[in-house]
Amino acid sequence: MRLYVMLIYVFLYAPIGFIVGGSFNSGKQAMVWQGFSLDWYGKAFSNPLIMEALTTSLYIALVNAVLSAIIGTLTALGLQRVGGWTRAGFDALIYIAIMVPGIVIGISTLIAFVTVFDAVNPLLSVRLEMGAWAVIAAHVLFNTAVVALLVRARLQGMDRSLVEASEDLYATPFGTFRQVVLPLLAPSILAGFLLAFTFSFEDFIIAYFVAGPDVTLPIYIFSSIRRGVTPEINAVGSVVVLSSFILLIAAQLILRRSGRPAG
Amino acid sequence: MTKQPDFIPTSKFLDELRRYQKGSVSRRHFLGVTGLGMAAAVLGGAVPGLRPRKAYAGLSGTLNFTTWPSYFAQENLDNFTKNTGVKINVAVFGSNEEMLAKLQAGSTGWDVFVPTNYAISTYKDLNLIQPIDLARLPNYDPATQEQRFTAEGIIDGQVWAVPKDWGTTGYTYNSKAMSQKPTTWKEFWDLTRNEATGRVMVHDYQLTTIGNALKYFGYSFNSNDPKELGEAEKLLIEAKPHLFGINSDYKPSLIAGDAWMSVCWTGDAVQLQRDMPEFVYVLAKEGGEIWSDFYAITKDAPNPDAAYAFIDYILTPQINAVEVQAHGYPSPDSRTNKLVPKEMLDNPVLYPAAEALSPLEFGAAATLTNPLRAEIMARFKAA
Amino acid sequence: MTRSAGRPQILTAALLAPAVLLFAVMLLAPLLVIVVFAFGERAPAGGYAAAFTFDNFLNLPARGKAFINTLTLAPIGTLLTAVIAFPVAYFLALRCDPKWRVTLLVLVMAPFWTSQLLRYYAWIMLLGAKGVPAWLSYLGFPDIRIINTPWAVLIGAVYGYLPLMVPPIYVSLEKLDKRLLEASSDLGATPLRSFLQVTLPLALPGVATGAMLVFILLMGDYILPQYLGGGKVFFIGNALVDLFLQSRNWPYGAAVSLALVAIMFVTILVYMRFVLGGSGQRRVALV
Repeated sequence: MRLYVMLIYVFLYAPIGFIVGGSFNSGKQAMVWQGFSLDWYGKAFSNPLIMEALTTSLYIALVNAVLSAIIGTLTALGLQRVGGWTRAGFDALIYIAIMVPGIVIGISTLIAFVTVFDAVNPLLSVRLEMGAWAVIAAHVLFNTAVVALLVRARLQGMDRSLVEASEDLYATPFGTFRQVVLPLLAPSILAGFLLAFTFSFEDFIIAYFVAGPDVTLPIYIFSSIRRGVTPEINAVGSVVVLSSFILLIAAQLILRRSGRPAG
Repeated sequence: MTKQPDFIPTSKFLDELRRYQKGSVSRRHFLGVTGLGMAAAVLGGAVPGLRPRKAYAGLSGTLNFTTWPSYFAQENLDNFTKNTGVKINVAVFGSNEEMLAKLQAGSTGWDVFVPTNYAISTYKDLNLIQPIDLARLPNYDPATQEQRFTAEGIIDGQVWAVPKDWGTTGYTYNSKAMSQKPTTWKEFWDLTRNEATGRVMVHDYQLTTIGNALKYFGYSFNSNDPKELGEAEKLLIEAKPHLFGINSDYKPSLIAGDAWMSVCWTGDAVQLQRDMPEFVYVLAKEGGEIWSDFYAITKDAPNPDAAYAFIDYILTPQINAVEVQAHGYPSPDSRTNKLVPKEMLDNPVLYPAAEALSPLEFGAAATLTNPLRAEIMARFKAA
Repeated sequence: MTRSAGRPQILTAALLAPAVLLFAVMLLAPLLVIVVFAFGERAPAGGYAAAFTFDNFLNLPARGKAFINTLTLAPIGTLLTAVIAFPVAYFLALRCDPKWRVTLLVLVMAPFWTSQLLRYYAWIMLLGAKGVPAWLSYLGFPDIRIINTPWAVLIGAVYGYLPLMVPPIYVSLEKLDKRLLEASSDLGATPLRSFLQVTLPLALPGVATGAMLVFILLMGDYILPQYLGGGKVFFIGNALVDLFLQSRNWPYGAAVSLALVAIMFVTILVYMRFVLGGSGQRRVALV
């Protein structure tokens, strides 16, 4: 069993080793070894287009994660307070938002917005266009649904007696929320935040359709692969791997400290 | 930098360019020995034909340049950025249809892109490109261009696009891997279903893939006849299980040895032969496609000043000659050709003999936009 | 939860308002446009022209192969991923030194945080003629071709989605009370029997959650079949990208999108009903 698990790790890391190894290649083609060099790291970080794509992606992922965490939590809380058809309707929407493949979300968002923009642009003084905002909006849709599910699962598992105790002690409803409910929900909100960030940072297909002139890192990489990958891209990829290790370990430590893994 | 002549002998230039592209010499070395660094540093001064540097003043921001794979000299783009401060964002597409689809959907943010001859009238009709003001391109000279490669950029006397380069669509095969020496499209498709099964690639592009399947039966590359297209579809679907892949970026697979034969554009053949002379380029006896690519400016270009400056820069003969040597497609500009090494001018891949050219056809606008062709290609890929 | 007595309705409305706005603008409106477009016609140069026709739906069989490919490879890929992920999650949750548990779990998930495009690109090299097939031919298996076949796509599916499959299984196994296993062996059950009767049933919700997530992502995948299938292994995602970004047949593309959504809907409803067993178990444990 230990051997099997080790093999799986090799399987998972072989291509990543390939990417990281390529980033130290002094030659121009990522996949033809010509000697060791660190130049590509410097080049990647002084290439304004890579940096712009990276910043755009980080910005989109961060705004999306914050919005999704907030809206998703609000939705989960709100759904505790409704029943019947309202609740069934919301449930259906949440599941549809998760179920509809990203490619369909990207396509339908693109044609819906482009059609509306074509109709209204002549009447406006500013030109409405697709862009990073549309990527954020489309990502928030999926991620809000994910966060709502995570937070709701946590709410359902929550010990009601804590809330009642707080109310018995004459805490205001907001006070109860802030001091009792929110800390209990925190791990699932954080988990949702991280998932939202990841899905957004990694997404290619939705952004490919709706990003308009804005370039995210995956779009930049897609274009680079078509043009022939240089080790510059490998360098960026390697830095992202390293940062994600650090972030993930930090997140796991926080989650562990706050009790049990989010579920 | 020691004093260097402005331009070294062209044969040496090509060697240096190759060494630079392989990464065995530094950019500084390359720019130094070739004199390009000097040219860039004194842009306008030492090099005749370049307009004064101040014309580039006032430019800033980003230029979104959309083109095909392996289709520009990176050092030219770098020099443009160095001299103007304009960053160039290169996006790469696989077909004219894909570019058209993206532009039709809107909000591309592109400034300059590279349409092929037959696509220009469609872009103009759909109001997606802007007319070109030749007064803003002082380094471009219409009089020195070969007319058949510029004609389709001009519609009703108005210039909508200026020529980049031209080429042919044939196929290439690895002569070390294959025993046969095919010379026709008939052999191409027959070998695909025989000796070379699993080792052949076609473009992810209906115009060339369907066009060259039509040539198997001796029909026109541009045929829009439903019966002839039906036969081509049948051939394509029969060949599909024998293909290695359907991809317009076929060079990596050919180099890696996964594929032995592929439908191929001129410049890709030139680029392949640089490192692997075993790749033979075939202009099939039945004919096929001859084409020219253009630079055009989109209707909604966010940075039109940079777009003009870029086109003007890149069509300057000295700069264009570097382009031609990098991508391997001939220029229609006689001024540029004077600066291209003789080996290249003598290369039959780039400049085929007249009798090889005569059966070739230019693609037509209707061939690009025909819905039946689009659907056949999609069915072929989905088969 | 019904503690609405005395709670202002307005707060409920305020809590749900952002979601209502989001779902209306980003989900319902675009889906409505897709429905309208699906009954339209392709404009002469591509795009959409208003019309009312069922032709787009009648023409769906022209993409039959893409639907079949997706509907065979996505479930197989999901199943393979689950089967391969299970022992890893089992090891992490029950067999490994707790000191290393977090690190090892992070190591499983980290690849997902690395550019998917670059990782698949690396696989193109690894599975191409100079990669694995070259090593295999040293071992005496000449002329094995992997890249651009359904096998490459399956390898990519397992590779790409393992990081998403392991954590939910891990979470459900971690909750497993080890005393149950001890009790089971005290009662004389063989390890295999304990595994089949205690461990596996308890892990199923995690497997089901992970499988649903992976299935959804595989059904709409475009990059995986494009990179590792080389345009030869064609998914619905590829058909859609083609229709919108090449042949510009928006109405037909809209119809194909609707068909894909409908298929997913039915599959997932059936799946939830039979695998997840009603509403009680639909807990999503993603991390």
